[in-house]
Amino acid sequence: MLTSIKTNEFAGSESKKLAMMYFRVAIVLFGAQLLMGLIAAIQFLAPGFLFEVFDFSVARMVHINALVVWMLYAMIGSVYYMLPDETGIETVNIGVGKLAFWVLTAAVTVVVLVYIFIQVGSGTEATIWLINEGREYLEAPRWADIGIVVVVLTFYWNVFATYMKGQKTGIMTVMVANLMALAGLYLAGMFFTDNISMDQYWWWWVIHLWVEATWEVFVGTLAAYALIKIIDAKREIVEMWLWIEVLMLFGSGILGLGHHYFWIGTPEYWWEIGALFSALEPVPLVAMFVHVLYDWGKEQGIAKAEGKPGSVMKNGPAMAWIVTNAFGNFLGAGIWGFFHTLPQVNIYTHGTQFTAAHGHLAFFGAYATILIGMMYMGIQGAYGIERLKATFRSKMAIFLITFGVVGMTVALTIAGYEQVLVERADLGGGWEAFFTAQNLPWYIQAQVWRTIMGVVTFVGFIYLVWDLLTIGKQAKAAQSA
Amino acid sequence: MGTLFEPFTDVVPSFFGWLNQGPLTLTIFLHTVIILPMFWIYFQEKKKLNK
Amino acid sequence: MANENRSVWTSISFWRRSAAWVTGFAVILLIWLTFDTLGQISMGTDADLKNKVTKRVPAPTVINYHIDYKYNAKRGHEVPVIGDKQPFFGKEWSEEEAAKLLHLGKLTSQAKNCMDCHTLLGNGAYYAPDLTKAWLDPAWQNGGPLQGMTGKNTVEEAMAEFLQHPSQYPTHARMMPNLGITAEEAKGLVAFLKHMSSIDTNGFPRNFSQAAKREQGGTYAH
Ligand code: HEC
Ligand code: HEM
Ligand code: HEM
Ligand SMILES: [Fe+2]
Repeated sequence: MLTSIKTNEFAGSESKKLAMMYFRVAIVLFGAQLLMGLIAAIQFLAPGFLFEVFDFSVARMVHINALVVWMLYAMIGSVYYMLPDETGIETVNIGVGKLAFWVLTAAVTVVVLVYIFIQVGSGTEATIWLINEGREYLEAPRWADIGIVVVVLTFYWNVFATYMKGQKTGIMTVMVANLMALAGLYLAGMFFTDNISMDQYWWWWVIHLWVEATWEVFVGTLAAYALIKIIDAKREIVEMWLWIEVLMLFGSGILGLGHHYFWIGTPEYWWEIGALFSALEPVPLVAMFVHVLYDWGKEQGIAKAEGKPGSVMKNGPAMAWIVTNAFGNFLGAGIWGFFHTLPQVNIYTHGTQFTAAHGHLAFFGAYATILIGMMYMGIQGAYGIERLKATFRSKMAIFLITFGVVGMTVALTIAGYEQVLVERADLGGGWEAFFTAQNLPWYIQAQVWRTIMGVVTFVGFIYLVWDLLTIGKQAKAAQSA
Repeated sequence: MGTLFEPFTDVVPSFFGWLNQGPLTLTIFLHTVIILPMFWIYFQEKKKLNK
Repeated sequence: MANENRSVWTSISFWRRSAAWVTGFAVILLIWLTFDTLGQISMGTDADLKNKVTKRVPAPTVINYHIDYKYNAKRGHEVPVIGDKQPFFGKEWSEEEAAKLLHLGKLTSQAKNCMDCHTLLGNGAYYAPDLTKAWLDPAWQNGGPLQGMTGKNTVEEAMAEFLQHPSQYPTHARMMPNLGITAEEAKGLVAFLKHMSSIDTNGFPRNFSQAAKREQGGTYAH
């Protein structure tokens, strides 16, 4: 992936080059995310580790911020990648696109350095503006918020102008409309209030309406694009599916927001709204799963009937990650989400390791997977490869990372289950109940397993980087031989 | 079955609180008003296709 | 029935229009619900407290009152019960003073990033106890281990002392680090925690500190 800076074969497509720049930063931040997760996981087991030097809160903050930021980078990269293919023209203003990339990257670097070295400030507005905002996921200080909004606006304008000028596919129509909602929602997280209920109310607008509405639709559009590219799926069919997915995702996900309004001071009517709308959220995830596997089977069947030998697949590793996405999205968001989405259950699971189990499998299954798939698409394009086949390293990467994250999820689910029963159901919460549950052997064993599985994930990540750095060159050499 | 129809318990009366009268009344109402117009869209599209 | 092979179910236009309708209408409903909810979760006033008007989120001057968490048979779960006046750091706080103190506390909670170790209203991190009803925790009351270790004799003074020097009062291997919290900031944080415990959370956490209650008998807060 790095070598492709020089030997890149995007005939005249600056947009795709820009996409690769975003992918590169994304993968670095992914690595940083995993390291921070490991530090935080170790602190559960050895609380003295880096105590008062690099506390849990700091490691965790960088862990989840790196997560959100690498995903945004990979999302922007994916859009720049597909834009010329979908619109049929070059992205209108690459210069501004590149400038925005450097501004964003500089800002992210400063924010991370401040998180790591300054960590906390005094209880004043200046801290909120300059150091950190202290609201999970949205910790970025206000100056950076504003910077992010400006950069995202230039990105959006670039996409929109290209869309208006070029050909307007269904995929791009959904993309353009959805990106506007995605960017606009960020504004809901940019103010301060003394009222913690009000604070949480709007905080969830950003978090939930991102991951359970706009990001999901984004993934739907990416999968639609990728299926056309990788297995020659028919555009009419893919676009019809896409509209069905939009219908179901937004139909359930928007009011599904109510599942976060059970206990934060908001009225009881949210119990019903949150329960039933969010209970339907897994339905589109099943549909997306069926869609990917069905299209794959169908295209393969057509090729076979036409007497074409071999696989229809033009990019093995990308398709593997996209199938993992279909499965992981359904499992992590759909199943693990449904587990705790009814208020009758959520009153006990709310804010336990159960939530963390779901958070990990959902973010990984629904987003990390497909974005990694897009990086492989990028490599294929950058080296001009007809058919990209998985290498041993690709296989190790996908196996170890998936196995590791699923392992962590299972461990955290067990820890959460123990917490639900002991801390919440039996002891009723509170300081003493919390520590009683934290110190039981079953909980500690689960934390040990989570850490081991975290290491497995990290080893998989090393294979992934290694593969991304080498697979293109290797395939190119094989192709010209 | 005495507890199936719960009395209204929300603290502050409001339109949505008022719809929230018993088992799932509010959410079923909202689902219905969202789904119903889709029938209309369906039949309109059917007419268009048949032409 | 003229055209058998053209089904509405495979018509892109049908799905596009349905998607637009469902999305648009869901957004409108959400905005409507948001107005309704915001009205209900805006902070009450000092007059509400004086007139015993129940608010889901009371005014900052709720710090001048005794707060309890009691089972409400009609609603089927516990709710905060605001009782008689009770001095907070030895005095009664005016509306303006209380609002200022709460503001400082909320700001400090963000500046020190409490939410990346603890949960507030159940949201945040799972490394340290939920703080939603920390003010009412039996461990902080007279005779409770947390109040006891600080050597103070009110909940607010004990909490403020702990927050300023948390690593001087270890109870478990997992400790809260020193975050450089000043005496003023600590007061603000305690006001923030006390205010949060008065919010009507529809019964979360359920059966709060049931075990401690079983052991000690009596109500949750003394
Ligand atoms: C680095 C993680 C971390 C951060 C940040 C943190 N805490 Fe803690 N906190 C802990 C741990 C661990 C405990 C349990 C320590 C004990 O009981 O001895 C704790 C205990 C407490 C307690 C007492 C236990 C209880 O349930 O009442 C309170 C109150 C508290 N913290 C408030 C805060 C506030 C307010 C902030 C933000 C200003 C904060 N904490 C930030 C880790 C943290
Ligand atoms: C890809 C999609 C999804 C992602 C990335 C995701 C991620 C998350 C994360 C990270 C949290 C924890 C937030 C926090 O830190 O407090 C969370 C909470 C939650 N999610 Fe999801 N989620 C997804 C989909 C779903 C779905 C489909 C459902 C329901 C069917 C669901 C139900 C919930 C619930 C109920 C909570 C609250 C947990 C609590 O009370 O502590 N999620 N989600
Ligand atoms: C090396 C592997 C990893 C380790 C050791 C790890 C560890 C952790 C730890 C310790 C926390 C804090 C949980 C708590 O507050 O108790 C956390 C939170 C989180 N991590 Fe990871 N993590 C890893 C990988 C990942 C991956 C791959 C993703 C997603 C793609 C992810 C997403 C999250 C999210 C969303 C949260 C917040 C969860 C919530 O608030 O419910 N992590 N992680
Ligand atoms: Fe959600």
